[in-house]
Order: sequence, then C-alpha cells, then structure tokens
Amino acid sequence: MSEQKPNPDDTPIEPLYTHPASPFLRTESTAPARVDMPTPPAFQSTWVTYRAQIEFGLAMLAYLMVLVGSVTVLQANPGASWRYVVAVLPVAPAALTLWIFIRAISRMDELHKRIQMQAFGFSLGGTALLTFGYGFLEGVGMPHLSWTFILPLMAILWGVGAAIFTMRYR
Amino acid sequence: MRNRLRVLRAEVDWSQADLAERLGVSRQTVNAIETGKYDPSLPLAFTIARTFNRRIEEIFDSPQPAGLASTRARL
Repeated sequence: MSEQKPNPDDTPIEPLYTHPASPFLRTESTAPARVDMPTPPAFQSTWVTYRAQIEFGLAMLAYLMVLVGSVTVLQANPGASWRYVVAVLPVAPAALTLWIFIRAISRMDELHKRIQMQAFGFSLGGTALLTFGYGFLEGVGMPHLSWTFILPLMAILWGVGAAIFTMRYR
Repeated sequence: MRNRLRVLRAEVDWSQADLAERLGVSRQTVNAIETGKYDPSLPLAFTIARTFNRRIEEIFDSPQPAGLASTRARL
C-alpha cells in the first residue's frame, strides 16, 4: 500500500511567506542576531576625574570669601587692636590651597610633573624679567605698582607655561 | 630614544588608554613615549618591559653616540 502524497493545494498557507512585507504580521528571525558591541569605558565619576580641580576651586572660593570678609571688617574697624589678626586671616585658606596644590602635583605621573616643573621655571623666569624690567621703568618715572600683582602675574605665566609645555608633548 | 611600544601595543590590541591604565600613567604620557617626545624614567621603563614580558633593550633603543662609535672603531 503506497502512501498518498498530500495535495500541495490543501496545505495551510503560511502567512509569513504570503505577506512578507506586511506591517501587521510580526516576522521574527529564528536565531537572535549577535552583534559584538564595543565595551563601554569604565565609568569614572566627576569627583574622581576632577578631584584636584574641585578641591582647588573650593579652596580658592574659601580664600576669596575670607579675603573679602577680612577687608570688609578691617575697613569698618580701622583702629581695632585685633586688626593684625584679621588682616592675616586669608593666609589660612591660602595655605590650604597650597597644600591641595602640592598634593595634586604629587599625584601626577612623571610626564605631568615634568610639565609642571617646566611651567614653574617659565613662570619664575618670566616674573623675574617682568618685575625687574618694570622696576627699572619705575626708576625713570613709571607709576609704582603694588607687590600684590606679583602672585597673579606668576599664576598667569604658570598657566601659559603649562599650556605651552603640554602642547610640546602632544 | 626610539621604541617599539606602538608595535607591541598593537600586537596585544590595547589602546593607549588601556596601556596607560596598566602602567599607572596618563594616556598623554603613553602617547609622548610612543612618539619619542618623552623618554620614560628607568622605573617606568622597567614597568613597561614587565607589562610586555620583554627586556628593556627589546623595547627601547638609543642611537649610539658618535664619539663612542668612533672610539670602538679605533679599538
């Protein structure tokens, strides 16, 4: 007895093939596609990445607040006996800033330490040249400038030097 | 000083950031060493050599000074 073949016309119509582009029928692949995605970089918090900058910024903010407070109090009490203590109060947050700065430098790797050293050399030399130059000009009649300009000048030249020497190693 | 750092790094398919993390330095430092703009300190050179399981002289090569070469030639 031979097995009778089913009539192809009697088989149920597979909707997947009859409507391949139909937006109403969901077509799914037999095996899920596997795509090798690049592993995302390890997450680093803002605190870890910019710790030194945040600490430095907060210390500078504290310094400015104490400085403004000190100047305000001194202007209101010019003859007070405790004015010397108030006048040197901004030194405390300035010392904190210095400590944070030194700690940040000690955490740097050897190339960045070298860049900072070159930048400090640039800053020191540049400040020496500018202050001596202006000192000679003061001798022939240029207006006298306060010593308090020296530190901002050093800071600006240090920043410029750091940018220059960082570019050098790029 | 010439070095084979970029080649060795490519062999193990590490990025500059990967190597920097292993060496405990910044990516900029790795780049400066690879481009020959910065010569690493001896401790860092040893760390690099250990990372790639090589000897230092297999990674770093200093061109021989002219004075030394002529002295050796005379000997």
